[in-house]
Amino acid sequence: MRRTYHGYGFDRAIRNFVRNRLSPALPVCCFLFCCLFTIASGTMAQSAHTVQGKVTDNKGNPIEGVSVQNRNTSSGTKTDANGHYSITVPDKSGTLVFTFVGCITQELPIRGQSAINCQMMPADASLSEVVVIGYGTQQKRDLTGAISVVPVADLQKRQATTVAEAMQGLVAGVYIRGGGQPGSEAKIEIRGLKNFQSSAPLYVIDGMIAVANRDFNPNDIESIQVLKDVSAAAIYGSRAANGVIIITTRKGRKGPMRVEFSGKSSLQVTPRYKLAGTEEFARLNYMAYDNAGAPRQNLDMNVHTDWQNEAFKTGTMQNYNASFSGGSDNGSYFVSANYFGNEGTVISTGFKRLGLRVNTQGTKGIFSIGENVSITNAKADEMSGNPYLDVVRLLPTIPVKDPANPGGYGYGNESKARTFGTNPVAIADLEDRTNENFRILGNLWAELKLLRSLKYRFNLGYETSNDHYTYLRKEGNWTLNQAYDPAIANENRARWQSALIENTLTFSENFGKHSVTVIAGQTYQRDTYSQIWGTKRNLLQNSSGYYYSVLDQGSEPQTGGFEQKAVLLSYLGRLEYKFNDKYLLNAVVRRDGSSRLSNSNKWGNFPSVSAAWRISREDFFRVKWIDDLKLRASHGTLGSSNIGYWDYLATINTFSTIAVGRDQHTEPGATQVRLVNPDLRVETLTQTNFGIDATMLNHRLSITAEYFIAKTKDVLTGMPIAITTGNDGGNPVVNAASLKNTGFELSAVWRSKAGAVDYYAGANLTTLKNRVLALGYGRKNIFSGNTVTEVGAPTGMWYVLQTDGIFQTMDEVNNYKNKDGKVIQPNAKPGDIRFKDNNGDGQITNDDKVVVGSPWPDFELGLNMGASYKSFELTMNWFGSFGATVYNGYRSVVDRFDDNSNYRAGIKPWTPDAPNTNVPRAYYASTLNSRGDTDRWLEKGDFMRLKYIGITYTIPPSLLKRIGFSNAQVTLAGQNLITITKFGGLDPEFNNNNIFERGYNNFNYPNLKMYSLGLQFGF
Amino acid sequence: MKKLFYIILPVAITFIVFPSCSKSLLEVDNPNTLTEDQFWKSETDAAKGINAAYAMFYKPGGWARWMYFRLDLTSDEGFSKSPWVELGDWTRFQYINYNFWEGNVNTWRDTYKAIFRCNQVLKHVPDIKFADATKKDQIIAQAKFLRGLHYYYAAILWENIPLVLEPSKPDDLPKQNTLAEVWAQVEKDFTEASAVLPVQWDDPSVGRATKGAAMAFLGRTYMQQRKWQEAKTALDYFFTGPGAGKYELTTNYRDNFLHTTENNKESVFEIQFSDANKGGDGDDPNQNMGTHRPQFFAPRGIGWSDGQARYWMVNEFKKEKTLANTLDPRLRYTLFYPALEGDFGDKVYGRSWEWGSDEAWFRKYQRDYYRNNEDYFCQNNFRMVRYADVLLMYAEVLNELNQTGNAVPYVNAVRTRVNMAPLATAHPEALVSKDAFRDRLKMERELELCGESVRWADLKRWGDLDTQAGVDKVAQRDPDFNNFKVGKHIRLPIPQIEVLNNTNLKQNAQY
Repeated sequence: MRRTYHGYGFDRAIRNFVRNRLSPALPVCCFLFCCLFTIASGTMAQSAHTVQGKVTDNKGNPIEGVSVQNRNTSSGTKTDANGHYSITVPDKSGTLVFTFVGCITQELPIRGQSAINCQMMPADASLSEVVVIGYGTQQKRDLTGAISVVPVADLQKRQATTVAEAMQGLVAGVYIRGGGQPGSEAKIEIRGLKNFQSSAPLYVIDGMIAVANRDFNPNDIESIQVLKDVSAAAIYGSRAANGVIIITTRKGRKGPMRVEFSGKSSLQVTPRYKLAGTEEFARLNYMAYDNAGAPRQNLDMNVHTDWQNEAFKTGTMQNYNASFSGGSDNGSYFVSANYFGNEGTVISTGFKRLGLRVNTQGTKGIFSIGENVSITNAKADEMSGNPYLDVVRLLPTIPVKDPANPGGYGYGNESKARTFGTNPVAIADLEDRTNENFRILGNLWAELKLLRSLKYRFNLGYETSNDHYTYLRKEGNWTLNQAYDPAIANENRARWQSALIENTLTFSENFGKHSVTVIAGQTYQRDTYSQIWGTKRNLLQNSSGYYYSVLDQGSEPQTGGFEQKAVLLSYLGRLEYKFNDKYLLNAVVRRDGSSRLSNSNKWGNFPSVSAAWRISREDFFRVKWIDDLKLRASHGTLGSSNIGYWDYLATINTFSTIAVGRDQHTEPGATQVRLVNPDLRVETLTQTNFGIDATMLNHRLSITAEYFIAKTKDVLTGMPIAITTGNDGGNPVVNAASLKNTGFELSAVWRSKAGAVDYYAGANLTTLKNRVLALGYGRKNIFSGNTVTEVGAPTGMWYVLQTDGIFQTMDEVNNYKNKDGKVIQPNAKPGDIRFKDNNGDGQITNDDKVVVGSPWPDFELGLNMGASYKSFELTMNWFGSFGATVYNGYRSVVDRFDDNSNYRAGIKPWTPDAPNTNVPRAYYASTLNSRGDTDRWLEKGDFMRLKYIGITYTIPPSLLKRIGFSNAQVTLAGQNLITITKFGGLDPEFNNNNIFERGYNNFNYPNLKMYSLGLQFGF
Repeated sequence: MKKLFYIILPVAITFIVFPSCSKSLLEVDNPNTLTEDQFWKSETDAAKGINAAYAMFYKPGGWARWMYFRLDLTSDEGFSKSPWVELGDWTRFQYINYNFWEGNVNTWRDTYKAIFRCNQVLKHVPDIKFADATKKDQIIAQAKFLRGLHYYYAAILWENIPLVLEPSKPDDLPKQNTLAEVWAQVEKDFTEASAVLPVQWDDPSVGRATKGAAMAFLGRTYMQQRKWQEAKTALDYFFTGPGAGKYELTTNYRDNFLHTTENNKESVFEIQFSDANKGGDGDDPNQNMGTHRPQFFAPRGIGWSDGQARYWMVNEFKKEKTLANTLDPRLRYTLFYPALEGDFGDKVYGRSWEWGSDEAWFRKYQRDYYRNNEDYFCQNNFRMVRYADVLLMYAEVLNELNQTGNAVPYVNAVRTRVNMAPLATAHPEALVSKDAFRDRLKMERELELCGESVRWADLKRWGDLDTQAGVDKVAQRDPDFNNFKVGKHIRLPIPQIEVLNNTNLKQNAQY
């Protein structure tokens, strides 16, 4: 009895291990890896012992021809047509070895048994996995391009708003940064920055081109593939240069109805700054004023406001999913409902999503039809300004409430607390901002199997989103000296629609050892967006203070609206050729026409070719410890026309008005405001990729390594132009820059077991080198903030003044001269910063700035580990980034004394009595010691973070049976619990959307610590 | 047969139907607005084009906001105690980051943005057919006036700037011009504009540039170059030319600073501000037509208080009483100062004095006369040139041409309006010599025009900032001038990003 239980637990553990780690497509084939062996007691015998048994495949079918050997004597036999074998061994303590081509070798100890059954597992489940590659599928082992399969089970363990955020660290070559703002989208960048417009990849959801944004429920995902190189993404042509993420949602499986529920409930905790309290603040503030000779402000020492306590709280995140699904040979259904709710760690922020999905399909004869549709409503409660900055800008001597101010909230005061920080509690009350989207996303497809080897598929995709934005501003102030505004309501409603029509023909046939698949197709996609908006001022208010924010109320109406349209028309073709499972060839061509490009340049062609050689199948290959080895190479061209709708078209801005005449009436004006380049063409990415896939050491270790060289030409970008052109409204888009990215990616997974513990450990390593080859308009560089982007160097390098310690004495000041004897900083005093006069002209100017660091990491590392023992399973994901230099925006505010903000607790500015410090003397109202454009604020951005750790307990089925459940699991998990870093800001992992200032940490919402409890069951 | 149909159908859809209509499918018209080639066809288009050029007065880089920081606060009349240190630094010659948007780049950008609009009118309107050729010429003349005006102030601020005279293309990298070349272009624009512009507009067009506006600016342009004879010729317009008798001083000095008495008989050129729209500063619908000056110059606790007046002016006003032995009424309407309530009974936005005992704030153009707060939608017209200024300019020109005696009545006219005694009585020493008269005139201009954005050009024209001795004297009134480096800070640095992006540009000397 006990043994049986043990055996079952072991089986469950492997199932979980398989489901969670090995394959996202695994619910379908999660039984692949299990190995059941029954242990029966046999009679003990001293002499020769006979063992009998049956060998089956993973589906329980008998296998003929399996070699069964005694390891000690190497005597052996083979199974018959029914899978039976019988072998005589010299003693009962030996081990039987079962081997069969394409399967993992099994070694089972005899331990005195006389009946041993064996189930053979396919050699590598991940290799026989089917991968969606766009307009078709391929076996993973046949891939010739760089395609990563995301371990969906790991992804779904994490509590996250968006798919992108949950993918971090799980795939090599994909850079992802999120943040803790409810409903915020993560930034995702596949294989580096390839243009200056956007790094957003193309998403394909069940064949529909649509973004998997915060409206999309990650729990519905069955599989995710990331197409990283040109040959893989080529089938998506002019939109694929940033890579493609293909998402397939779950389908019903053959069998009776299955009901599943999963729920996760989490607490979120924000990291906090260590800021000065009232006494420390006052001491430092007085010091700064005294040093500057300014009369001290009359600080209110009785007030002790901890603004972080006021603005931050413990957040919660809830995620509930219920689904039912089932199917037969002729059809299947899957229906799921989802609720996701996030109350932010910042007051008055939150996000809610309600979702429903229905995926069905059916087949009759040669005809199949199906649909996938999801309906979601997502609503974000947003907050103006940035509370993570506000809590720093506000002083501890300011009360939260102050009846003397309009609106009743405390903020800066000219005589008592001079700061222009905004009171987040006031904003939370006086402003309401919501963003709501109702979205329908889905597709309807039909397939005709015209001949055995030829099928036609029609795919109709549709996405629509009704967007609703509301803003209410009540009367009252939240910052010092604020301009008067009455109560204002602002509302807009918009509709997004995208329709996709696709026709494809697929021919697939084997001719002896030759296998050929040909796909030809045509697609048409039309996107439209239209918005109307309206504003009213002086809103009606009732006696209890409530404002009527509907647009019927109020006065001074303003209204407007606009429309956007784009069309993409494409033809595509792909040839997949395989010879003897050894030589693989893929060739793709796509022709795209885009309405966004100028009339003479609307069309572009994107060819690519890739090949692979399964060297391990060659006769001469005799490396025993390598099970499978495949070499790959690809080359091709992709496009990008990720620009505005009519960027090639010079338009007239008709919104100017002037007051004129004795009566000051209004007259309209019209003129061209934004310049354009009329001959825009598609930008092209040419990439060469080399890859190796290997499995070795009896399938315990699998490795994929990739190296790529990618060049983007004619990059479409709003390159800054001379301001004397008078251009405004955004720099005109131009085919300007050229960029090069090279990178190396390595993924390795080790799977094995030690005793009763099954475990795996995987690592993803990504390195990337970004280099600008040309910038267009003949320019050599672009300056943005504290960065420079120069030809021959990576984008956005830090370009600042170098500091060189602190002057300790007047002598040091006077002796700090250039070679001509000119005193470089004649106005400095002891305690001031010494800057390097890099150009030697005897003064500190902008010309002394130099490149001092790179915002690009040298490498990023994901470590994913799991182990299971009996009913317990432990999973851990670590993610780290190393070698980037980042700008600590927080320190650049709290470590300066020129402007009043709160100060870093424990900061020690230089004084004659305490000169041993790296903080210069405090000095109010002078940028002398507080310049932002110096290397003082640059720090190492290295970090290693425990993104996820979770322990799952599977409730024994024997217990569940009584209540009719087939499975149940409880999971306790934590996210971002440990971060190892020397970075002095809140979070070294952040997202700056400015392409040139990617390393600037500017009070971004940090990643939050999260503690989750999850429950999952099915019946 | 059926199978064949199944094969033909998709093939037909795929390869026949779509290609045949692919061209029209991809040509998606912009439903939002006109394209450039559909515009500049009619008289209405031309009228809208010139209006869009006027609308540039409402932008923050220009006369809605930052220009007052450059011209009033940088001069010895004003200064900044803004807690936004960098903003303050740009009013006290501490220019560190030449790309500081608010202090430099925004104004540079909006200047050229306005010029681009003028150039579009000048390029396209000549080709448009008008029923009445005069109308067409007047539109072109207004564009020349506005272009001249923007180049005039750019010459005051940066001096060595590129002259852009054609509509721009994205890859334009214009050549740099010398200050003399810039002045020559400004003279040309004002001269050509003045030849066509009407002496007065009919009521619906009041506020547009007149011949007098062009002549006054032409006079200023010559004066800045100390071309006194040419300046006199230009300004003669007001006294012996067609403009004679068309302008008068208002009886009430304050009428020049209220929104209720705009475009009065003293007005030569005003920026027509309005609070009709409550939108933003960009080129979007409902864009703001108001000035932000009052919100930025209002005292602490009321507005941003980024700019305030130097206290020495209070003393200067109090040095001389009116003929009725009262304080100069111009003090009352020029400044908020500690004794305002005591001297004249006026509170500051309903408050008694709560600021420093040595502090003062600009009162001109502030709206304390009817409200207790400020916002970004101030409708009060900015009087860019008023007749009192023309009188004092004319007096200065005559004095420089050694006609000191002839100059005196023009100064007296300005003094008489506020009941101050004639110069001969009040300041006989000023009539002794040309230099003495000039010294007095400097103060007369200060008392009359304080806070009206003429002081910086005055200091430059007078040469007060050309020598260390001169700067030291100014620094006694405004210690910010202790930072002033002769030969350097007389002009702003060109935005660094522009110097880097346009290899034809050289940064101004010593920057």
